[in-house]
Amino acid sequence: MIRGIYAVVVLDLKRAWLDRVRLAVGLAQPLLYLFVLGSGLGASSKMAGSYRPYIFPGVLGLSLLFSATFAAISIVFDRQVGFFKAVLVAPLSRTAIALGKIASGAIQAFIQGFIVLPFAPLAGVPLDLHSFAALLGAMLLAAFTFSAMGVAVAARFTSTTVFPVVSNAVLLPMFFLSGALYPLQGTPRWMQGAAHFDPVAYAVDLMRGAVLSTPGSLAASGRAELFFFPVWLSLAVLAAVVSALVWSAVRTFNRGEDDSSLGATRINWRR
Amino acid sequence: MPRRQNFLQNANSPTPRLLRAGGATVLPLVLPAAPNPSLPPAVSVRGLVKRYGAVEALRNIDLTVHTGEMFALLGPNGAGKTTLFSILATLRTPSEGAAAVLGRDVVSERDAVRRSMGIVFQEPAIEQRLSGRDNLLLMGLFYGLSGAAARRRASELLERLGLTEMADRPAKSLSGGQRRKLELARALVTDPGILFLDEATLGLDVESRRMFWAQVRGFTSTGRTVFFTTHYMEEAEVADRIALIDSGRIVALDTPRALKARVGGGVIRLETDDNDRARLWLEERGFALEAAGPGLMLVHGDPAAVLPEILRHLPVKVHRVEVHEPSLEDVFLKLTGRGLEAELAAGGGRGRP
Repeated sequence: MIRGIYAVVVLDLKRAWLDRVRLAVGLAQPLLYLFVLGSGLGASSKMAGSYRPYIFPGVLGLSLLFSATFAAISIVFDRQVGFFKAVLVAPLSRTAIALGKIASGAIQAFIQGFIVLPFAPLAGVPLDLHSFAALLGAMLLAAFTFSAMGVAVAARFTSTTVFPVVSNAVLLPMFFLSGALYPLQGTPRWMQGAAHFDPVAYAVDLMRGAVLSTPGSLAASGRAELFFFPVWLSLAVLAAVVSALVWSAVRTFNRGEDDSSLGATRINWRR
Repeated sequence: MPRRQNFLQNANSPTPRLLRAGGATVLPLVLPAAPNPSLPPAVSVRGLVKRYGAVEALRNIDLTVHTGEMFALLGPNGAGKTTLFSILATLRTPSEGAAAVLGRDVVSERDAVRRSMGIVFQEPAIEQRLSGRDNLLLMGLFYGLSGAAARRRASELLERLGLTEMADRPAKSLSGGQRRKLELARALVTDPGILFLDEATLGLDVESRRMFWAQVRGFTSTGRTVFFTTHYMEEAEVADRIALIDSGRIVALDTPRALKARVGGGVIRLETDDNDRARLWLEERGFALEAAGPGLMLVHGDPAAVLPEILRHLPVKVHRVEVHEPSLEDVFLKLTGRGLEAELAAGGGRGRP
C-alpha cells in the first residue's frame, strides 16, 4: 500500500518536474492579486495599506486551490492512454492510486504555495518562527483538502475538456465566498452563512490566523480580527472534509464494472 | 510449478538460446521444443462467456495453454480476441465460466495473477516524456520493488534488450522498434512467468518485428509461457500452437503444421469470367470447392497433377491461376468461409469496446 502510494507520487512528481516552468508561470497569478489587485483595491478601501497583508493568506489559498485542482487533471489524462494502462495491471490497489494522487496533488500545490512565501515581507507580512510554522501547517492541511477536492471530482470525469470547465465553475464561487479578498465579518449575513459551507473559507481563515498572530501584525494592533471561525471548528471541518473526499475518491476508483476503467462508468469511459 | 531460471541469467548461460552477433540478437537455427503438457497449464479457460449488453463477445470458450508454450490467438477484428485477452489480463471479468493463469483464478486471485504476468499492449503504455530508464524504474516501484532494486532491474533489462545507449533519452525520441522493445522491457520488469502480447508488433517494419520475436523467443526458452494475438500470419507461425477464433468461438486449435494439414496438400485459386459455371463444372467432376469469398478455392492433395487437366478442359475463360502451400489464411477461410482480412474491410470492430 505505502509502496503503491509512493510509486504514484514519484510518477506524478517526475512528470511535474518536466513542466517545472509551470511553477514560475503559476507564480504570476498570486503576485498579480497581491500587488496589483491588492494595491488597487487597498487604495480605495478603509484598510488602505493594511489590505495587502490582509489578502496575503487569501492569495496563498488561491495558489493552493488552483494548483491542487490542476494537478488532478492528470487523472483524466491517465485514463485515456499511456503509462497508466500498464499501472492498472500492476498488483496495486485502487485505494493506493487514489491516495497517491491526492498526496502528489497536495505536494505540488504546497510547493506552488511555498514559492509565494518569499514575497511576504514585500506584502508587508512579518513572519516569525512561530507564525511561519503555523502557516506551513495550515498550508499543508489546505493543500490536502484542495487536492482531495480535485481528485474526488476528477475521478468522475473522463473528458479533459469538461473537467476544467466544471472545476472553474466550482472553484471561483468557493474562492469568492472564502473571505480571501475581504473580511467575512463585514459581508451580508447570507454570505457569512454560505461561507460556513465552503472548505476554502476555513483553510484561508486558518492561514490568516497564523499570519496575523505575529506581534506587530494587523491583529496585534487591533485592526483586524484574528479568526472568523474558531480554530477548533476549522480544524474539525477540514479534517472531516478531507476524510469524506478521500473516502469518495477511493470509492469511485474501486467502482466500475471493468477494472480497466479506474472507476469511470462505461458511458463516459468511451468518450 | 517448474523451476524457473532467471531470464536474464539464462542469457549468459553456456547454452544460450539466442546467439549474440555483433551486439544484435539473432534467432538460433534450431528452436527449442519448450512446451511441456505434463506440467500444470499456464492458462486454463473453461466455459467462458462474455456479454456486452445483448452482444455475446465470447461464447463458451474452452482453452488450455501449456507451460512453456508460445501460443497464438488468431482471428479477425471483432472475433473476441481482445475481449479474451482482457479477461486473461484481469482487466475484464467474465460473464460466465472461469479462467486461470498459472493456476490462479483471474477474478478471485486477481492480484496474484497480476504479480505473475507481464503485458505488452497494442497501444503504447510507456510515459513518452520520461526516459526509458525512468519508465522501467517506475514500473518496478508499482510492482513493489524497492527503489534500489527497481533501479538495478531497469539497468539489467536495458542492457539485455540493447537499449542502454538510449536509456536516458525521452521515450518519444526513440524509434518505433526501440519503443516496442521498451514496452517489452516494461512487461518483463517483474520477471513474469507468463507474457501476454496484444498485437505487440503492430506498425513495425519486418526487421524490427523479427528482432522483437527473437527477444520473445528468448523468454520462452527459460520455461515461461507466451500468449499473443496478432494480425500478421507469419507471426502466428512462430507459435507452438494457434487458436483460431471467430464470432466468439474457438473454431480450431492446433499446431501451425497440423492446421495447415487440415487444408490438405495445396490450394488452387481460380478467377474465371464465369465462376458459377466453373464451380458447377468442377463439382460435377468431384472436386470439393471451399466457400471462400470471390473466386474459386480448391484444395487438393496434389495440385500440380490435376491443374493442367482442369485448365485444359474447363469450359470458361480463366483469368488468373494461383497455386500455393496452404497458409493459415486458407485454414481460416476453409473453417469459416471468410478471410481474416475481409472482416477488416467490412469494419466489423464490435469486439473492441
